[in-house]
Amino acid sequence: MARFDRPLKRVLVLVFLAAVAFSPFSVRAEPQGKLIIFHAGSLTVPFARMEKIFEAKYPKVDVLREAGGSTKMARMVSELHKPADVMASADFAVIDKTLIPEHAQCNIRFATNQLVLCYTDTSRFANEVNADNWYEILGRKGVIWGHSDPNLDPCGYRSLMVLQLAERYYHRPVLYDRLMANRPKKNVRPKSVELVSLLQTGNMDYAWEYLSVAVQHGLKYIKLPDEINLGNYKYDDFYKQASVKVTGKKPGTWITRTGKSCTYGITIMKDAPNPEAAAAFLEFLMDPNDGLKVLKEMGQPPFIPCRVPTAEMKARLPSSLQEFVEVRD
Amino acid sequence: MKIAEHIDPWICLTIFCSFTVVLFILLPLIEMIVQPSFQDLKETVQDPDVRRSIWLSIYTSGLAAFISFIFGTPFAYLLARKEFLGKKFLESIIDLPIMIPHPVVGIAILGIAGKNHWIGHLMHEVGICVMGTVTGIVAVLTFVGLPFYVNTVKAGFEAIPVRLENVSRSLGASLSRTFLRVTLPLAWRSMLVGIIMCCARAISEFGAVVIVAYHPMIAPVMIYERFTAYGLKYSQPVAVWLIVVCLVLFFLLRIFSLPKEHQT
Repeated sequence: MARFDRPLKRVLVLVFLAAVAFSPFSVRAEPQGKLIIFHAGSLTVPFARMEKIFEAKYPKVDVLREAGGSTKMARMVSELHKPADVMASADFAVIDKTLIPEHAQCNIRFATNQLVLCYTDTSRFANEVNADNWYEILGRKGVIWGHSDPNLDPCGYRSLMVLQLAERYYHRPVLYDRLMANRPKKNVRPKSVELVSLLQTGNMDYAWEYLSVAVQHGLKYIKLPDEINLGNYKYDDFYKQASVKVTGKKPGTWITRTGKSCTYGITIMKDAPNPEAAAAFLEFLMDPNDGLKVLKEMGQPPFIPCRVPTAEMKARLPSSLQEFVEVRD
Repeated sequence: MKIAEHIDPWICLTIFCSFTVVLFILLPLIEMIVQPSFQDLKETVQDPDVRRSIWLSIYTSGLAAFISFIFGTPFAYLLARKEFLGKKFLESIIDLPIMIPHPVVGIAILGIAGKNHWIGHLMHEVGICVMGTVTGIVAVLTFVGLPFYVNTVKAGFEAIPVRLENVSRSLGASLSRTFLRVTLPLAWRSMLVGIIMCCARAISEFGAVVIVAYHPMIAPVMIYERFTAYGLKYSQPVAVWLIVVCLVLFFLLRIFSLPKEHQT
C-alpha cells in the first residue's frame, strides 16, 4: 500500500504545484506593455538575445533594457526613483545592500562568471603572453593595461583581487604593488565593457574582463587557474584572502570588499510598474531551456536551478517562479 | 472690460510662452541648487578633487575655445565672404558635430588615436597620447565646440557690409590688413559671443569625454562618478558649484562686452 501510495502522492503534489504555478497566468491576462530591465553591463549581450526570444514569446510585451555598472543601476532605483521592473546585478550583494528591503524583497542568484585577461593580436607581446607569464608581462614598461573603476563596477575590484590572489598563488611577494605601479590612473574606466573598445582600437594592450565579455566580443583571452579567477565557489576560502578598499557611502569614507566568487543576482522591484511581465521574464530567464541556456552559450555558466538564500525568500516569490529556485546558501 | 479688449491675444501668448519657457528651464535647476545644504556645499568646495575637476573643466573648455578662435575665425570668414562650389556641403560638415551622438564622437576620436590606425600609430611614435589625457579632452571639446564658434562668427562677418572692406581695399590696404583693421574691429563682439558659445558647449560635454578620458576628471565626469559611487547627495553640490562658476564666468564675459556695444 505504502509503495503504491507514494507515487500517487507525488503525482498529486505535482498536480497541485502545477496548478499553483499556472493559476496566476490562467487568471491573469497575458503579460503586456513595457517591461523595464536594469542590468549589469556584462549582461548586455545575453539579455539582448533573451529580449528577442522573450518578445517573440510575448508579442505584447516591449522589453526596455538599461545597462550600466550594477551599483549605478541600483542607485538609479534607490535614489532617483527611476521606475524599473527587474534589476540584474553582476554582484548579487549589491541587491542586498542597496535595494532590500525598501525596493525589493528577493534576490535570486542565477549565474556565475570568472575573470580573464583580454588582449588582441596587436597588443604588445601578444605572441608571448600565456597563463604562466601574464603577470610578468603586465609589469613590463610600455605595456598599457587597465581595469574598470573599483568604486563603480564590481569587475573593477574583482580585477584587483585577482592580482592579489596571483601574488599568493604564484608566491611572488609585492607583485600587486609592482603591477599597480605600472597602471596609471588614466587606464581605469567606469565600466569594464568600455575597455573592450580601447583594446580593439589599439589604445590599450590588456584589459581585465569577465569571461562572458571576452567570449561575446570575440577577444583573445588568458584563462587563469580556478584558484585566482574568482569563478569557482569551491575556492571561496582562498578568494577571501583578497580585499580591496572601495569608496563608502560618502567621499572620503571607505569600505572593504573581500574576494568571493562572481555570482549574478536578479530581483523584481517592489513597485514594479509591470509585475506580471516581470514575473513572466524571470520565469523565462530561470528556465533551463530558455534564459539559462542563453547564458550558458555566452560564457556565463548558470545555476540550474537558480538559488535563493532562505525558504522565507522563496515563499515571497511569485508562485510561478518557485519551481525554478532552490534554497541554498 | 475695456482693458481686456485692448490686450492683444498675441501679446498674451508671447507672455504666456515666455513664462513657460523660463519656468521650464529654471524649475529643475532651482530644485537642484536648493537641494544641497550649505554644509554640503562647503565640504564639496573644500575637496581638492572637486576644485581640480572644475578648474580642469574651465581650462580645457577655454583651450577648446582658443583653438576654435585660431582656426575657426579665418574659416568663418571664408564661409561668410566667398561663394564656391560645395559651400553648402562644407557648411553641413561644420554642423555634423552638433548632430552626432556624443559617445560616437568619443569613439570616433579614440578610433583614429589608437595604435591600430596609422595616425594614432604616428602619434604614439611622437609621444602624443589621447586616451586619458588633457590632450584628449581638449580634442573632444574642440570637436563639439567648434561648430558653435564658426556659425556664430560667420553670422557676425555676414552682418558687416562688404562695402567697408572694399573701401579699405580701394585705398590700397592688403587683404590681411583690411581684415585686421576693418573687419576684426567690427566683428570682435560676435567673436566673443562665439567664444562664449563654444566654451559653454564644451563645458557641458560629458558623453564624448567620458569615453576618451575618465581620468583626469572634468567636472561633468566627476558629477557622474560621484552620483554612481555615492549617490545624489554628493553629486549635486559639485553640479551646483560648476553651475555657479560657469554662471559667474559667462556673466562677466557678457558684461565685459557690453560697454563697447553701447559706444558703437
